[in-house]
Amino acid sequence: MTQRITIDPITRLEGHGKIEIFLNEEGEVANTYFQIPELRGFERFCVGRPIEEMPLLTNRICGVCPEAHHMAAAKAADAVYHVDPPRTAKMLRELLYSAFYVTDHTTHFYALAGPDFVMGPDAPVAERNILGVIHKVGLEIGSKVIRARKYGHTVVEIIGGRKVHPCTSIPGGLTKGITEEQRLEILEMGKWAVEFAQFSLKLFSDIVLSNKAYVDLILGDIYTHRTYYIGTVDENNRVNFYDGKVSVVDPQGNRIGKYAPHEYTEWIAEHVEPWTYLKFPYLKKVGWKGFVDGKDSGVYCATPLSRLNAADGMATPRAQEEYERFYATLGGKPVHQRLATHWARLIELLYAAERWVELASDPEVAGPNFHTVPTEMPTEGVGIVEAPRGTLTHHYRTDERGIVTKANLIVGTTNNYAPISMSINKAARTLIKKGQQITEPILNMIEMAFRPYDPCFGCATHTLPGQMPLEVTIRNAQGEVVQVLKR
Amino acid sequence: MRTIVIGLGNPILGDDGVGWKVAQAVLQRNETESRFSLLQPAGCKEMHHPCPVEVECVSLGGLSLMERLIGYDRAILIDAMQTGQRPVGTVHVCTLEDLPNPSAGHSTSAHDTSLMTALEIGRRMGLHLPSQIDVVAIEAEQVYNFSEDLSPPVAAAIPQACQAVLNLLKSIYDPLEHKESA
Repeated sequence: MTQRITIDPITRLEGHGKIEIFLNEEGEVANTYFQIPELRGFERFCVGRPIEEMPLLTNRICGVCPEAHHMAAAKAADAVYHVDPPRTAKMLRELLYSAFYVTDHTTHFYALAGPDFVMGPDAPVAERNILGVIHKVGLEIGSKVIRARKYGHTVVEIIGGRKVHPCTSIPGGLTKGITEEQRLEILEMGKWAVEFAQFSLKLFSDIVLSNKAYVDLILGDIYTHRTYYIGTVDENNRVNFYDGKVSVVDPQGNRIGKYAPHEYTEWIAEHVEPWTYLKFPYLKKVGWKGFVDGKDSGVYCATPLSRLNAADGMATPRAQEEYERFYATLGGKPVHQRLATHWARLIELLYAAERWVELASDPEVAGPNFHTVPTEMPTEGVGIVEAPRGTLTHHYRTDERGIVTKANLIVGTTNNYAPISMSINKAARTLIKKGQQITEPILNMIEMAFRPYDPCFGCATHTLPGQMPLEVTIRNAQGEVVQVLKR
Repeated sequence: MRTIVIGLGNPILGDDGVGWKVAQAVLQRNETESRFSLLQPAGCKEMHHPCPVEVECVSLGGLSLMERLIGYDRAILIDAMQTGQRPVGTVHVCTLEDLPNPSAGHSTSAHDTSLMTALEIGRRMGLHLPSQIDVVAIEAEQVYNFSEDLSPPVAAAIPQACQAVLNLLKSIYDPLEHKESA
């Protein structure tokens, strides 16, 4: 008879997640399951609606990255109408997207990753949170975080028409442009964002990289998996969040190919398991071999770390310096240590801020040519962007009036479902030992296995009261509760 | 005294959209009855007089929701609630403090924090945040299926929830009007 430990739910606002850990009679981990209740019927919900509604509708799927869905759907709608938006439109979209990235990556680092490193993985739970971080590092940091978020939201509002849930991207471009005055305002905010990103990297260097215990934790085996990596790159194979081809590299770091959005079905397939509704995407050319590492396993990862591994570098100068330092410090490419994703995320933060400044520095971004009127018959199209937490694919087919007849979405986190499951399993097996009491710090170390992926499971429900406390129930062989851990 | 009424939730996720529908009902009732002549949709800048009450519908939580509350003295949040303890469609009025902080200072979600924790962060930053946040919650049934429709008991609760919001506004503003006339 096995014992069963349930960590439920680990998350709230992005939908529930539940970790189940089954112990054998010896008290060792027999198996782990990471379950996510699927939000049902979204693709069906899209059918029968005009394609131009998709950028508005899909940004309601998720409470965390509506901007990413807005962009992927808009790019898919461009493809459906066979229209190439003018340069100004592409710049505006990428500018909005860069500012969004700054907001999103900032939040993850300071609210989620920060506590584990600034306070320490085994700090009391009452202190291991963003309030603890602010208390320890200073109120000034909290103000910077709020300011970074404010600037990001402001840019999204100026270009996207409203905060958080933008509404201006349509097939062929945008419904509105920006004024020269707005461009200059955006530029000034971007310059501050660059300084903030550099500050964040320095903070990481001072607190994490100069602490041997943390470096050992990052480089240790508990949080390491050797898988394939994917990420969008530009024509020079540098990381790009908005446009390009998806680069795929093997566990040795060799690029096995790049695919354009419309080619995604040749590269990505989905595996089904009986214990969960969510599917596990894998590389079709390699094949599904189970939840295992290595070159023969089609499991791939799509995260900030993956994007760095799948690219040859960063397109902006300061981020490129950090990119080089990252690989020099961690022993070359690719980096497989999942906790290094937090560092990779900060390098992306700097890139996003620098790109924000680059785009806002070009007067053409405030030009009048922000839309090309579609003239062709709508058919079918795929749009891909890099959501902060992974490659996001939107695929639509329409009738001749542009009414959606079929929709398929592979969202950021879904890419990582297999690697997240593997990471939880490995951490649980390593940390839960025979005869040892399972404590809160141990559970946090298991949670730390999935935190680098910044998982987001799809919905924008904000149903009060928000969340049940994290609860772990350990049952004996008779199914009786012998230990309950709550936070 | 600036007050914001916020309908929370996801309008395409079944009963989770009830917060929006109640907020819209509040605006509509206000128009027909001129109950609060100073009530207006948030972001409406063409008003001829200062407006103390704004109404908005958003899909936000945690830090983003806290940021939306900056600058207001009072706030009323309308949202779906799933306690499993009350019949579906029950309207429950309380203050935010009455609800358990789901995270107890810990990160609630994989990507954000709870509203309570976010508010504490904001207050430590010295941000101007509402001194009191009232909650009008409607017990929900279905929040995991994509749909623009509410389940019937939840839809039937809209007038009652709307009235609860108006009563709260009355309790906030009537004493003020009383003082001014005196």
